[in-house]
Amino acid sequence: MKGAELGIEDLEGFFRGLLEKEVVDCLVMPHVAGKNIAYMMVTDPKRIESSPGKAIFAPSFSVNAAGIVKGWTVANKVGLVAKPCEIRAAIELVKLNQMDKDSLLLISVDCAGAFENQVYADHSDEIGEWLDSGKIEELKGKGIELREACTICDSRLADVGDIGIVRLNGDKVVVAGLTNMGEAALTALELPLEDKEIERKDEKARIAEEAKKNEEALPKISSIEELEAFLQDCIVCKNCRDVCPVCYCKECFFDQPLGNPASGDLLNLAELRGAIGVPANQLFYHLTRVYHVSTTCVGCGACADACPKDIPLTRYYPVIARKVQEIFEYEPGKDVEEPLPFVVYEEEELEDKLR
Amino acid sequence: MGEEKKEGEFEPKIIGFTCNWCTYASADLAGTSRKKYPPNARIIRLMCSGRLDPMFVLKALLNGADGVFIGGCHPGECHYIKGNFYARRRIAAIRTILKQFGLDNRVRSEWISASEGDKFARVMTEMAEDLKKLGPNPMRGKIL
Ligand code: SF4
Ligand code: SF4
Ligand code: FES
Repeated sequence: MKGAELGIEDLEGFFRGLLEKEVVDCLVMPHVAGKNIAYMMVTDPKRIESSPGKAIFAPSFSVNAAGIVKGWTVANKVGLVAKPCEIRAAIELVKLNQMDKDSLLLISVDCAGAFENQVYADHSDEIGEWLDSGKIEELKGKGIELREACTICDSRLADVGDIGIVRLNGDKVVVAGLTNMGEAALTALELPLEDKEIERKDEKARIAEEAKKNEEALPKISSIEELEAFLQDCIVCKNCRDVCPVCYCKECFFDQPLGNPASGDLLNLAELRGAIGVPANQLFYHLTRVYHVSTTCVGCGACADACPKDIPLTRYYPVIARKVQEIFEYEPGKDVEEPLPFVVYEEEELEDKLR
Repeated sequence: MGEEKKEGEFEPKIIGFTCNWCTYASADLAGTSRKKYPPNARIIRLMCSGRLDPMFVLKALLNGADGVFIGGCHPGECHYIKGNFYARRRIAAIRTILKQFGLDNRVRSEWISASEGDKFARVMTEMAEDLKKLGPNPMRGKIL
Protein backbone atom coordinates (compact mmCIF):
# COMPACT_ATOMS: atom_id res chain seq x y z
CA MET A 1 0.00 0.00 0.00
CA LYS A 2 1.36 3.42 -0.95
CA GLY A 3 0.90 6.37 1.32
CA ALA A 4 2.38 9.57 2.64
CA GLU A 5 2.86 10.73 6.18
CA LEU A 6 1.71 14.31 6.67
CA GLY A 7 1.22 16.73 9.51
CA ILE A 8 -2.43 17.27 10.31
CA GLU A 9 -2.04 20.88 9.16
CA ASP A 10 -1.05 19.64 5.69
CA LEU A 11 -4.56 18.31 5.12
CA GLU A 12 -5.69 21.74 4.00
CA GLY A 13 -3.27 21.62 1.10
CA PHE A 14 -4.24 18.02 0.42
CA PHE A 15 -7.95 18.79 -0.04
CA ARG A 16 -7.18 22.00 -1.97
CA GLY A 17 -4.93 19.97 -4.25
CA LEU A 18 -7.69 17.48 -5.02
CA LEU A 19 -9.80 20.34 -6.39
CA GLU A 20 -6.96 22.34 -7.98
CA LYS A 21 -5.55 19.36 -9.84
CA GLU A 22 -9.10 18.44 -10.84
CA VAL A 23 -8.78 15.01 -9.33
CA VAL A 24 -12.38 15.65 -8.25
CA ASP A 25 -14.90 18.30 -9.31
CA CYS A 26 -16.31 18.71 -5.86
CA LEU A 27 -15.75 17.49 -2.33
CA VAL A 28 -18.49 16.55 0.10
CA MET A 29 -16.77 16.92 3.45
CA PRO A 30 -17.34 17.95 7.07
CA HIS A 31 -16.74 21.53 8.12
CA VAL A 32 -17.04 23.49 11.34
CA ALA A 33 -20.47 25.12 11.62
CA GLY A 34 -20.59 27.17 14.81
CA LYS A 35 -20.29 24.75 17.70
CA ASN A 36 -21.17 21.90 15.43
CA ILE A 37 -19.90 19.94 12.48
CA ALA A 38 -21.89 19.74 9.25
CA TYR A 39 -21.29 18.64 5.70
CA MET A 40 -20.51 21.06 2.90
CA MET A 41 -20.18 20.55 -0.82
CA VAL A 42 -17.23 22.53 -2.00
CA THR A 43 -15.99 23.22 -5.52
CA ASP A 44 -13.77 26.26 -4.98
CA PRO A 45 -10.37 25.24 -3.53
CA LYS A 46 -10.19 28.55 -1.71
CA ARG A 47 -13.24 27.60 0.30
CA ILE A 48 -11.51 24.62 1.93
CA GLU A 49 -11.39 25.68 5.55
CA SER A 50 -8.11 25.98 7.37
CA SER A 51 -7.36 23.02 9.67
CA PRO A 52 -9.86 20.63 8.06
CA GLY A 53 -8.53 18.01 10.49
CA LYS A 54 -10.69 19.65 13.16
CA ALA A 55 -13.83 18.87 11.20
CA ILE A 56 -13.08 15.55 9.55
CA PHE A 57 -11.96 13.82 12.74
CA ALA A 58 -14.53 15.47 15.01
CA PRO A 59 -16.59 12.84 16.87
CA SER A 60 -19.92 14.17 15.69
CA PHE A 61 -22.47 12.29 13.59
CA SER A 62 -25.19 14.16 11.72
CA VAL A 63 -26.33 12.36 8.59
CA ASN A 64 -24.86 9.37 6.86
CA ALA A 65 -23.17 11.25 4.03
CA ALA A 66 -23.59 8.39 1.57
CA GLY A 67 -27.25 9.39 1.51
CA ILE A 68 -26.29 12.81 0.15
CA VAL A 69 -24.94 11.41 -3.10
CA LYS A 70 -27.43 8.53 -3.37
CA GLY A 71 -29.00 8.22 -6.79
CA TRP A 72 -26.87 10.90 -8.44
CA THR A 73 -26.42 10.55 -12.17
CA VAL A 74 -23.74 13.07 -13.03
CA ALA A 75 -20.55 12.74 -14.99
CA ASN A 76 -18.70 14.95 -12.52
CA LYS A 77 -16.42 13.35 -10.02
CA VAL A 78 -17.43 13.67 -6.40
CA GLY A 79 -14.96 13.19 -3.58
CA LEU A 80 -16.68 12.01 -0.41
CA VAL A 81 -14.75 12.51 2.82
CA ALA A 82 -16.48 10.66 5.63
CA LYS A 83 -16.36 8.14 8.42
CA PRO A 84 -15.90 4.47 7.56
CA CYS A 85 -19.60 3.58 8.09
CA GLU A 86 -20.56 6.25 5.57
CA ILE A 87 -18.00 5.11 3.03
CA ARG A 88 -19.19 1.53 3.48
CA ALA A 89 -22.75 2.67 2.78
CA ALA A 90 -21.54 4.43 -0.39
CA ILE A 91 -19.93 1.18 -1.52
CA GLU A 92 -23.22 -0.66 -1.00
CA LEU A 93 -24.99 2.01 -3.04
CA VAL A 94 -22.54 1.46 -5.89
CA LYS A 95 -23.38 -2.25 -5.78
CA LEU A 96 -27.08 -1.41 -5.72
CA ASN A 97 -26.55 0.64 -8.90
CA GLN A 98 -27.42 3.84 -7.10
CA MET A 99 -24.04 5.41 -7.87
CA ASP A 100 -21.43 5.01 -10.54
CA LYS A 101 -18.16 4.11 -8.90
CA ASP A 102 -16.18 5.96 -11.58
CA SER A 103 -17.74 9.22 -10.48
CA LEU A 104 -16.85 8.73 -6.82
CA LEU A 105 -13.57 9.11 -5.00
CA LEU A 106 -14.18 7.66 -1.56
CA ILE A 107 -11.99 8.94 1.26
CA SER A 108 -12.46 7.37 4.67
CA VAL A 109 -11.13 8.89 7.88
CA ASP A 110 -10.30 7.14 11.16
CA CYS A 111 -13.17 7.28 13.63
CA ALA A 112 -12.99 6.65 17.36
CA GLY A 113 -16.74 6.72 17.82
CA ALA A 114 -19.05 9.70 17.68
CA PHE A 115 -21.74 11.62 19.54
CA GLU A 116 -25.09 12.61 18.12
CA ASN A 117 -24.41 15.99 16.56
CA GLN A 118 -26.66 17.85 19.00
CA VAL A 119 -24.82 16.24 21.93
CA TYR A 120 -21.52 17.19 20.33
CA ALA A 121 -22.66 20.79 19.84
CA ASP A 122 -23.69 21.08 23.48
CA HIS A 123 -20.34 19.76 24.74
CA SER A 124 -17.87 20.41 21.93
CA ASP A 125 -15.38 22.18 24.20
CA GLU A 126 -15.23 19.29 26.65
CA ILE A 127 -15.21 16.68 23.90
CA GLY A 128 -12.45 18.25 21.85
CA GLU A 129 -11.20 17.18 18.45
CA TRP A 130 -10.15 13.62 18.96
CA LEU A 131 -11.18 10.81 21.31
CA ASP A 132 -9.25 8.09 23.04
CA SER A 133 -10.61 5.45 25.39
CA GLY A 134 -9.65 7.42 28.50
CA LYS A 135 -11.48 10.45 27.23
CA ILE A 136 -14.54 8.37 26.28
CA GLU A 137 -14.72 6.99 29.83
CA GLU A 138 -14.24 10.40 31.37
CA LEU A 139 -17.06 11.88 29.28
CA LYS A 140 -19.29 8.92 30.04
CA GLY A 141 -18.83 9.68 33.71
CA LYS A 142 -20.32 13.08 33.00
CA GLY A 143 -23.27 11.57 31.19
CA ILE A 144 -21.93 12.43 27.73
CA GLU A 145 -22.27 9.13 25.90
CA LEU A 146 -21.24 7.86 22.51
CA ARG A 147 -23.95 6.83 20.09
CA GLU A 148 -24.99 3.25 20.73
CA ALA A 149 -24.20 2.37 17.11
CA CYS A 150 -20.60 3.50 17.59
CA THR A 151 -20.13 1.33 20.65
CA ILE A 152 -21.01 -1.79 18.63
CA CYS A 153 -19.14 -0.77 15.46
CA ASP A 154 -16.29 -3.14 14.66
CA SER A 155 -14.94 -1.42 11.55
CA ARG A 156 -14.19 2.19 12.31
CA LEU A 157 -10.66 2.36 10.95
CA ALA A 158 -9.96 4.19 7.70
CA ASP A 159 -9.38 1.11 5.58
CA VAL A 160 -12.31 1.35 3.18
CA GLY A 161 -12.79 3.37 0.02
CA ASP A 162 -10.10 4.65 -2.34
CA ILE A 163 -8.08 6.66 0.16
CA GLY A 164 -7.77 6.22 3.91
CA ILE A 165 -6.75 9.02 6.24
CA VAL A 166 -5.19 7.40 9.28
CA ARG A 167 -4.71 9.37 12.47
CA LEU A 168 -1.38 8.78 14.17
CA ASN A 169 -0.29 10.00 17.57
CA GLY A 170 1.13 13.49 17.80
CA ASP A 171 -0.98 15.19 15.16
CA LYS A 172 0.39 13.16 12.29
CA VAL A 173 -1.69 11.48 9.64
CA VAL A 174 -1.07 8.96 6.90
CA VAL A 175 -2.89 9.44 3.63
CA ALA A 176 -2.97 6.02 2.00
CA GLY A 177 -4.09 4.88 -1.42
CA LEU A 178 -6.30 1.82 -1.02
CA THR A 179 -7.23 1.31 -4.69
CA ASN A 180 -5.75 2.21 -8.05
CA MET A 181 -8.02 5.23 -8.21
CA GLY A 182 -6.84 6.30 -4.79
CA GLU A 183 -3.17 5.85 -5.60
CA ALA A 184 -3.58 7.75 -8.85
CA ALA A 185 -5.14 10.62 -6.91
CA LEU A 186 -2.20 10.76 -4.50
CA THR A 187 0.25 10.58 -7.38
CA ALA A 188 -1.50 13.49 -9.10
CA LEU A 189 -0.94 15.52 -5.93
CA GLU A 190 2.79 14.73 -6.12
CA LEU A 191 2.85 13.52 -2.54
CA PRO A 192 6.03 11.76 -1.35
CA LEU A 193 4.61 8.24 -1.55
CA GLU A 194 6.25 5.31 0.15
CA ASP A 195 5.17 1.82 1.13
CA LYS A 196 2.98 2.07 4.21
CA GLU A 197 1.69 -0.62 6.48
CA ILE A 198 -1.67 0.61 7.78
CA GLU A 199 -3.24 -2.77 8.43
CA ARG A 200 -3.34 -2.35 12.23
CA LYS A 201 -4.41 -5.93 12.84
CA ASP A 202 -4.07 -5.79 16.62
CA GLU A 203 -6.07 -2.62 16.94
CA LYS A 204 -8.74 -4.02 14.67
CA ALA A 205 -8.99 -7.15 16.77
CA ARG A 206 -9.22 -5.12 19.96
CA ILE A 207 -11.99 -2.93 18.52
CA ALA A 208 -13.90 -5.96 17.27
CA GLU A 209 -13.72 -7.64 20.66
CA GLU A 210 -14.93 -4.54 22.47
CA ALA A 211 -17.74 -4.04 19.95
CA LYS A 212 -18.84 -7.61 20.40
CA LYS A 213 -18.87 -7.26 24.15
CA ASN A 214 -20.94 -4.10 23.91
CA GLU A 215 -23.35 -5.66 21.45
CA GLU A 216 -23.90 -8.63 23.73
CA ALA A 217 -24.64 -6.28 26.61
CA LEU A 218 -27.44 -4.52 24.70
CA PRO A 219 -30.98 -5.46 25.72
CA LYS A 220 -32.21 -8.19 23.37
CA ILE A 221 -35.49 -8.36 21.51
CA SER A 222 -36.14 -12.06 21.49
CA SER A 223 -39.80 -12.64 20.82
CA ILE A 224 -42.42 -11.12 18.60
CA GLU A 225 -44.18 -9.80 21.71
CA GLU A 226 -40.95 -8.11 22.77
CA LEU A 227 -40.61 -6.61 19.33
CA GLU A 228 -44.14 -5.31 19.58
CA ALA A 229 -43.30 -3.70 22.92
CA PHE A 230 -40.02 -2.33 21.56
CA LEU A 231 -41.88 -0.61 18.73
CA GLN A 232 -44.97 0.43 20.63
CA ASP A 233 -44.22 4.15 20.43
CA CYS A 234 -43.51 4.06 16.69
CA ILE A 235 -45.74 6.46 14.77
CA VAL A 236 -44.71 5.02 11.38
CA CYS A 237 -43.33 8.37 10.26
CA LYS A 238 -40.68 6.48 8.26
CA ASN A 239 -37.91 8.89 9.22
CA CYS A 240 -35.75 5.86 9.91
CA ARG A 241 -36.17 4.87 6.28
CA ASP A 242 -35.57 8.36 4.92
CA VAL A 243 -32.22 8.77 6.65
CA CYS A 244 -31.07 5.23 5.99
CA PRO A 245 -28.32 5.36 3.38
CA VAL A 246 -29.11 1.91 2.01
CA CYS A 247 -32.90 2.27 1.76
CA TYR A 248 -33.11 3.41 -1.84
CA CYS A 249 -36.42 2.43 -3.48
CA LYS A 250 -37.83 5.24 -5.62
CA GLU A 251 -41.28 4.43 -4.37
CA CYS A 252 -41.42 2.67 -1.05
CA PHE A 253 -44.10 0.01 -0.62
CA PHE A 254 -45.14 1.78 2.56
CA ASP A 255 -45.96 4.94 0.63
CA GLN A 256 -48.26 3.07 -1.73
CA PRO A 257 -51.95 2.30 -1.13
CA LEU A 258 -51.28 -1.30 -0.06
CA GLY A 259 -48.54 -0.39 2.37
CA ASN A 260 -50.05 2.87 3.54
CA PRO A 261 -53.78 2.16 3.49
CA ALA A 262 -56.19 5.03 3.96
CA SER A 263 -59.89 5.67 3.76
CA GLY A 264 -61.88 2.72 2.39
CA ASP A 265 -58.80 0.49 2.25
CA LEU A 266 -58.17 1.05 5.93
CA LEU A 267 -61.82 0.40 6.76
CA ASN A 268 -61.69 -2.83 4.78
CA LEU A 269 -58.65 -3.95 6.74
CA ALA A 270 -60.31 -3.10 10.03
CA GLU A 271 -63.34 -5.08 8.97
CA LEU A 272 -61.19 -8.03 8.03
CA ARG A 273 -59.43 -8.17 11.39
CA GLY A 274 -62.08 -6.67 13.63
CA ALA A 275 -59.60 -4.11 14.94
CA ILE A 276 -56.30 -2.79 13.64
CA GLY A 277 -53.69 -0.44 15.02
CA VAL A 278 -53.45 2.96 13.35
CA PRO A 279 -51.27 4.30 11.82
CA ALA A 280 -51.33 0.88 10.19
CA ASN A 281 -48.52 -1.57 9.52
CA GLN A 282 -46.14 -0.70 12.35
CA LEU A 283 -44.72 -4.23 12.69
CA PHE A 284 -45.08 -5.03 9.00
CA TYR A 285 -43.10 -1.91 8.11
CA HIS A 286 -40.19 -2.68 10.43
CA LEU A 287 -40.02 -6.38 9.59
CA THR A 288 -40.06 -5.60 5.88
CA ARG A 289 -37.47 -2.88 6.24
CA VAL A 290 -35.13 -5.05 8.24
CA TYR A 291 -35.38 -7.66 5.49
CA HIS A 292 -34.72 -5.04 2.83
CA VAL A 293 -31.55 -3.81 4.54
CA SER A 294 -30.57 -7.21 5.90
CA THR A 295 -27.50 -7.62 3.72
CA THR A 296 -26.61 -3.95 3.27
CA CYS A 297 -27.12 -2.34 6.70
CA VAL A 298 -23.77 -0.87 7.68
CA GLY A 299 -24.80 -0.31 11.29
CA CYS A 300 -24.37 3.46 11.14
CA GLY A 301 -27.23 4.13 13.57
CA ALA A 302 -28.62 7.04 11.53
CA CYS A 303 -32.06 5.46 11.95
CA ALA A 304 -31.80 5.54 15.74
CA ASP A 305 -30.66 9.18 15.72
CA ALA A 306 -33.56 10.17 13.49
CA CYS A 307 -36.40 8.53 15.40
CA PRO A 308 -38.57 11.29 16.89
CA LYS A 309 -39.81 8.81 19.49
CA ASP A 310 -36.31 7.89 20.65
CA ILE A 311 -36.73 4.22 19.86
CA PRO A 312 -33.19 2.78 20.14
CA LEU A 313 -33.28 1.29 16.65
CA THR A 314 -29.60 0.32 16.85
CA ARG A 315 -30.74 -2.63 18.95
CA TYR A 316 -32.87 -3.77 16.04
CA TYR A 317 -31.61 -2.92 12.53
CA PRO A 318 -27.86 -3.58 12.74
CA VAL A 319 -28.24 -6.39 15.27
CA ILE A 320 -30.78 -8.34 13.20
CA ALA A 321 -29.11 -7.54 9.87
CA ARG A 322 -25.82 -8.98 11.10
CA LYS A 323 -27.46 -12.35 11.66
CA VAL A 324 -28.39 -12.43 7.98
CA GLN A 325 -24.97 -11.14 6.92
CA GLU A 326 -23.44 -14.00 8.91
CA ILE A 327 -25.27 -16.72 6.96
CA PHE A 328 -23.94 -15.28 3.69
CA GLU A 329 -20.54 -14.45 5.21
CA TYR A 330 -21.03 -10.98 3.83
CA GLU A 331 -19.64 -7.73 5.19
CA PRO A 332 -21.40 -4.73 3.69
CA GLY A 333 -19.11 -2.08 2.28
CA LYS A 334 -15.98 -4.14 2.53
CA ASP A 335 -15.37 -4.86 -1.12
CA VAL A 336 -16.95 -3.11 -4.07
CA GLU A 337 -16.29 -6.14 -6.28
CA GLU A 338 -18.01 -8.66 -4.02
CA PRO A 339 -21.56 -9.27 -5.30
CA LEU A 340 -24.59 -8.60 -3.12
CA PRO A 341 -25.82 -11.86 -1.55
CA PHE A 342 -29.26 -11.73 -3.18
CA VAL A 343 -27.97 -11.58 -6.75
CA VAL A 344 -25.83 -14.70 -6.62
CA TYR A 345 -26.17 -18.25 -5.31
CA GLU A 346 -24.36 -21.52 -4.86
CA GLU A 347 -25.90 -24.66 -6.30
CA GLU A 348 -25.66 -26.37 -2.95
CA GLU A 349 -26.20 -24.26 0.14
CA LEU A 350 -28.45 -23.19 3.00
CA GLU A 351 -30.61 -26.31 3.06
CA ASP A 352 -30.43 -26.28 6.86
CA LYS A 353 -32.02 -22.82 6.95
CA LEU A 354 -35.22 -23.60 5.06
CA ARG A 355 -37.30 -25.72 7.42
CA MET B 1 -58.90 -37.78 7.51
CA GLY B 2 -59.16 -41.05 9.36
CA GLU B 3 -59.38 -39.90 12.96
CA GLU B 4 -62.30 -37.99 14.30
CA LYS B 5 -61.68 -34.41 15.17
CA LYS B 6 -61.73 -33.69 18.88
CA GLU B 7 -64.10 -31.00 20.06
CA GLY B 8 -62.40 -27.59 20.27
CA GLU B 9 -59.09 -28.90 19.05
CA PHE B 10 -56.82 -26.22 17.58
CA GLU B 11 -56.68 -26.43 13.81
CA PRO B 12 -53.72 -24.48 12.45
CA LYS B 13 -54.19 -22.31 9.39
CA ILE B 14 -51.41 -22.69 6.87
CA ILE B 15 -50.84 -20.43 3.88
CA GLY B 16 -48.98 -22.30 1.18
CA PHE B 17 -47.11 -20.73 -1.71
CA THR B 18 -46.32 -23.27 -4.40
CA CYS B 19 -44.81 -22.96 -7.83
CA ASN B 20 -46.96 -23.79 -10.80
CA TRP B 21 -44.66 -26.35 -12.33
CA CYS B 22 -43.70 -28.64 -9.47
CA THR B 23 -45.24 -28.31 -6.05
CA TYR B 24 -48.65 -27.13 -7.21
CA ALA B 25 -48.71 -30.09 -9.56
CA SER B 26 -47.67 -32.38 -6.70
CA ALA B 27 -50.65 -31.15 -4.69
CA ASP B 28 -52.84 -31.96 -7.67
CA LEU B 29 -51.34 -35.40 -7.91
CA ALA B 30 -51.84 -35.99 -4.18
CA GLY B 31 -55.50 -35.11 -4.72
CA THR B 32 -56.12 -37.19 -7.84
CA SER B 33 -54.36 -40.18 -6.33
CA ARG B 34 -56.46 -39.78 -3.17
CA LYS B 35 -53.57 -39.40 -0.75
CA LYS B 36 -54.79 -38.51 2.72
CA TYR B 37 -53.57 -35.30 4.26
CA PRO B 38 -55.13 -32.71 6.57
CA PRO B 39 -56.85 -29.78 4.84
CA ASN B 40 -55.16 -27.02 6.85
CA ALA B 41 -53.36 -25.35 3.98
CA ARG B 42 -54.76 -22.71 1.66
CA ILE B 43 -52.59 -22.89 -1.41
CA ILE B 44 -51.64 -19.86 -3.46
CA ARG B 45 -50.12 -20.68 -6.82
CA LEU B 46 -47.07 -18.71 -7.95
CA MET B 47 -45.45 -19.26 -11.33
CA CYS B 48 -42.16 -19.94 -9.57
CA SER B 49 -40.82 -20.00 -6.02
CA GLY B 50 -38.65 -17.12 -7.23
CA ARG B 51 -41.82 -15.01 -7.29
CA LEU B 52 -42.12 -15.31 -3.54
CA ASP B 53 -41.52 -11.94 -2.02
CA PRO B 54 -40.62 -12.55 1.64
CA MET B 55 -43.16 -9.86 2.43
CA PHE B 56 -45.83 -12.46 1.60
CA VAL B 57 -44.52 -14.54 4.49
CA LEU B 58 -44.52 -11.58 6.87
CA LYS B 59 -47.98 -10.51 5.85
CA ALA B 60 -49.40 -13.99 6.30
CA LEU B 61 -47.91 -14.31 9.79
CA LEU B 62 -48.94 -10.82 10.87
CA ASN B 63 -52.47 -11.49 9.70
CA GLY B 64 -52.63 -14.51 11.95
CA ALA B 65 -51.68 -17.49 9.78
CA ASP B 66 -50.25 -20.19 12.06
CA GLY B 67 -47.81 -21.40 9.45
CA VAL B 68 -46.45 -20.60 6.01
CA PHE B 69 -45.44 -23.26 3.54
CA ILE B 70 -43.31 -22.58 0.47
CA GLY B 71 -42.91 -25.22 -2.21
CA GLY B 72 -40.79 -25.24 -5.35
CA CYS B 73 -39.03 -27.50 -7.81
CA HIS B 74 -35.90 -29.29 -6.64
CA PRO B 75 -32.75 -27.14 -6.95
CA GLY B 76 -31.50 -27.45 -10.51
CA GLU B 77 -34.99 -28.32 -11.81
CA CYS B 78 -36.71 -24.93 -11.71
CA HIS B 79 -38.78 -24.30 -14.84
CA TYR B 80 -37.08 -20.91 -15.05
CA ILE B 81 -33.65 -22.43 -14.35
CA LYS B 82 -32.57 -20.25 -11.40
CA GLY B 83 -35.74 -19.03 -9.67
CA ASN B 84 -35.52 -21.40 -6.74
CA PHE B 85 -31.81 -20.68 -6.18
CA TYR B 86 -32.69 -17.04 -5.56
CA ALA B 87 -35.75 -18.07 -3.56
CA ARG B 88 -33.57 -20.23 -1.32
CA ARG B 89 -31.42 -17.24 -0.34
CA ARG B 90 -34.46 -15.08 0.35
CA ILE B 91 -36.16 -17.76 2.42
CA ALA B 92 -33.00 -18.41 4.42
CA ALA B 93 -32.74 -14.67 5.12
CA ILE B 94 -36.35 -14.15 6.18
CA ARG B 95 -36.25 -17.26 8.37
CA THR B 96 -33.05 -15.99 9.98
CA ILE B 97 -34.86 -12.76 10.83
CA LEU B 98 -37.96 -14.57 12.09
CA LYS B 99 -35.74 -16.84 14.19
CA GLN B 100 -34.74 -13.85 16.33
CA PHE B 101 -38.39 -13.53 17.33
CA GLY B 102 -39.18 -17.20 17.64
CA LEU B 103 -41.31 -17.41 14.49
CA ASP B 104 -39.02 -19.33 12.16
CA ASN B 105 -40.49 -22.69 13.07
CA ARG B 106 -43.79 -21.57 11.57
CA VAL B 107 -42.20 -21.26 8.12
CA ARG B 108 -41.19 -24.32 6.16
CA SER B 109 -40.08 -24.74 2.59
CA GLU B 110 -39.64 -27.95 0.63
CA TRP B 111 -38.66 -28.91 -2.87
CA ILE B 112 -41.40 -31.18 -4.20
CA SER B 113 -41.51 -32.27 -7.81
CA ALA B 114 -44.69 -32.85 -9.84
CA SER B 115 -44.41 -36.60 -9.35
CA GLU B 116 -44.06 -36.43 -5.55
CA GLY B 117 -47.69 -36.34 -4.50
CA ASP B 118 -46.82 -38.54 -1.54
CA LYS B 119 -44.14 -36.13 -0.36
CA PHE B 120 -46.61 -33.25 -0.58
CA ALA B 121 -49.12 -35.19 1.53
CA ARG B 122 -46.43 -36.13 4.06
CA VAL B 123 -45.15 -32.57 4.41
CA MET B 124 -48.68 -31.20 4.89
CA THR B 125 -49.38 -33.82 7.55
CA GLU B 126 -46.13 -33.12 9.38
CA MET B 127 -46.61 -29.39 9.23
CA ALA B 128 -50.13 -29.57 10.64
CA GLU B 129 -48.87 -31.84 13.45
CA ASP B 130 -45.92 -29.57 14.25
CA LEU B 131 -48.08 -26.47 14.32
CA LYS B 132 -50.63 -28.13 16.58
CA LYS B 133 -47.85 -28.75 19.05
CA LEU B 134 -46.66 -25.15 18.72
CA GLY B 135 -50.14 -23.75 19.26
CA PRO B 136 -51.73 -20.71 17.67
CA ASN B 137 -49.66 -17.88 16.20
CA PRO B 138 -49.16 -15.34 19.00
CA MET B 139 -50.07 -12.59 16.50
CA ARG B 140 -53.60 -13.96 16.12
CA GLY B 141 -56.26 -11.60 17.30
CA LYS B 142 -53.77 -8.88 18.18
CA ILE B 143 -54.44 -5.30 17.31
CA LEU B 144 -51.70 -4.80 14.75
S1 SF4 C 1 -30.81 0.48 8.99
FE1 SF4 C 1 -30.08 2.09 10.38
S2 SF4 C 1 -28.03 1.37 11.00
FE2 SF4 C 1 -28.58 0.19 9.15
S3 SF4 C 1 -27.68 1.37 7.44
FE3 SF4 C 1 -29.84 2.06 7.69
S4 SF4 C 1 -29.70 3.88 9.03
FE4 SF4 C 1 -27.71 2.75 9.22
S1 SF4 D 1 -38.35 6.95 12.91
FE1 SF4 D 1 -39.16 6.04 14.82
S2 SF4 D 1 -41.34 6.61 14.86
FE2 SF4 D 1 -40.60 6.99 12.75
S3 SF4 D 1 -41.10 5.05 11.64
FE3 SF4 D 1 -38.96 4.86 12.39
S4 SF4 D 1 -39.17 3.82 14.40
FE4 SF4 D 1 -41.22 4.60 13.85
S1 FES E 1 -40.76 -23.10 -11.41
FE1 FES E 1 -40.77 -24.35 -9.63
S2 FES E 1 -39.30 -23.30 -8.44
FE2 FES E 1 -39.14 -22.16 -10.28
